[in-house]
Amino acid sequence: MTRWRARVAAAAPTIVVALAAAYFVAPLLSLARFALQNVPTIRLGWSTLFDNWSLKGITGAFGDASFWAALRLSLQLAVGTVLLTLVLLLPTAIWVHIKLPRARAALEFITVLPYMVPAIALVAGIVFIKPHARWFLNSDLSLIPFYVVLALPFTYRSFDAGLRAIDLRTLVDAARSLGADWRFLLLRVLVPNLRTAIISASFLTAAVVLGEFTLADTLLIESLAPFQRRFVGREPQAGYGLNLLALIATVSLFALVSLLTRKRDRRRRTFAYRAERALVASTPESTS
Amino acid sequence: MTDIALTAGGRTDGAPPSARLAGRAPRRPLTWAWLGLVPFLAFLLLFLLVPAVTVFANALRTEQGFSFSAMAEGITGQNLQAFWFSVQFSAGAAFVGVLLGTLLAYAAATARRPRWLRSAVASFSGVAANMGGLPLAFAFLTLLGRQGVLTKVFSTAGWDLYGGSFTLGSVPGLITVYSYFNIPLMVLITLPAIDGLRPSWREACANLGGTWVTYWRRVGLPVLAPSLFGGFMLLFANSFSAYATAAVLTDNSRIVSRRIGFFLGGDVAIGEDAVGFALAAWMIVVTAACMAVYWVARRRAERWQA
Repeated sequence: MTRWRARVAAAAPTIVVALAAAYFVAPLLSLARFALQNVPTIRLGWSTLFDNWSLKGITGAFGDASFWAALRLSLQLAVGTVLLTLVLLLPTAIWVHIKLPRARAALEFITVLPYMVPAIALVAGIVFIKPHARWFLNSDLSLIPFYVVLALPFTYRSFDAGLRAIDLRTLVDAARSLGADWRFLLLRVLVPNLRTAIISASFLTAAVVLGEFTLADTLLIESLAPFQRRFVGREPQAGYGLNLLALIATVSLFALVSLLTRKRDRRRRTFAYRAERALVASTPESTS
Repeated sequence: MTDIALTAGGRTDGAPPSARLAGRAPRRPLTWAWLGLVPFLAFLLLFLLVPAVTVFANALRTEQGFSFSAMAEGITGQNLQAFWFSVQFSAGAAFVGVLLGTLLAYAAATARRPRWLRSAVASFSGVAANMGGLPLAFAFLTLLGRQGVLTKVFSTAGWDLYGGSFTLGSVPGLITVYSYFNIPLMVLITLPAIDGLRPSWREACANLGGTWVTYWRRVGLPVLAPSLFGGFMLLFANSFSAYATAAVLTDNSRIVSRRIGFFLGGDVAIGEDAVGFALAAWMIVVTAACMAVYWVARRRAERWQA
């Protein structure tokens, strides 16, 4: 009886993870099937399982002129959002860490405020403001500042983690005492040290912008996501192919970020962390 | 760096140590340093606060001036039905997410083999938690839609998925889809909390004559409770405000977020404008309340996460 229970206990985690894996992989596989295989589901069976596979669905969107226009607009939006985030948010984060450490908690709270206003509610406000600010909001690129806001919780957290991981005080003092001005300090000392944080914030921002649907669709702006939606209606197989590509792109961006940040676990480098680890390792209870 | 040493040293109330130290020190006067925050705060004022306030201003106003009538209409009749529907599937998706997310996190944290499993689950969750939106909705259409692969497999096995009232836009359908990003999000929230459960607590409980049940009832669950509760709130807000996924899966305005889009699209008589804003205002109220509770719960949860 006890042996049976022990076996179940040992196997349970594996079973849970395996079931979860099946749930998470199945939709991706079926999306890939619809993109790559041209067999109606009605006729799908063992005999037709290997018929009509091709890459046509994946490349189908590339022949469409409005696809390139939508992609170009989305890339412009992504680059603009990344640049504005770097110009606006990075100096603010650095400033708070150097000059106003006691404002850190407040700023952390402020940067999750965008979570409190759902995108569809934000866009309701924009729709009302639009007639009063046509000079600005008529441009497709006017989405950029709003995308900066939407990505804010991601980007600030990334900068914050990066700043906590370096010995900011020492870097600043050393640079200042060697005669560096603020511009030199920012661009030649801090930015290189914050490389990982900057790159991952940029990737996260790009992923958010490239997949953003709510604002663009409601404001009738032809960026990638609204195009994806309509393209599925027009050419289902190529549409699914395009969505598969979009999914792969998003996943790669997020996966790159997680690879980048994993190597730089901030705690692993600190003396306190190592000391704590050593302490834990030396106490008998941790051997269980 | 000193953060860790301080936090490891004793109790924390969740605030960064520097803030706590500042709290103990006598209040310093405002310095010019605060001016450095002006550009950023002005930006947020313009692009977040102004649109949000506009929503409320329009929801609370008629031609005669201040009025609560639109807000009241936002929660009656069809609008109330939309809210009820949204609350149902959001609560369901949050519940499933909390339950299965915690289970998955616990499984990943306790599995001995393979070694990489834990970090793989954590990394994957970081990616999948952000996988909402159009591609996910289309992926589920190809799996469980009327022409979906799994639907076909089921019907071959003799079970007609669409025999009853099931669609991907129904409550069970939306829960199935939203779990795809809710479960990983919950894993990210509870993994640190589960790591915070020290093996010594379990042993102490056993030494005092406690069973497995005692441990979970008196130690495990109370320690995890803030994370679970906070996670539920976050997942609820997350499902409640999702728009893109719902836009593909439902072509009607049964869901609040879709209904706002419907009002904004101008398919409705002009006079009803305020109702659209009222729906958006209620949505902000609900989401903000959930996030506020989440924020408080998260601070409590951090107490055991050195």
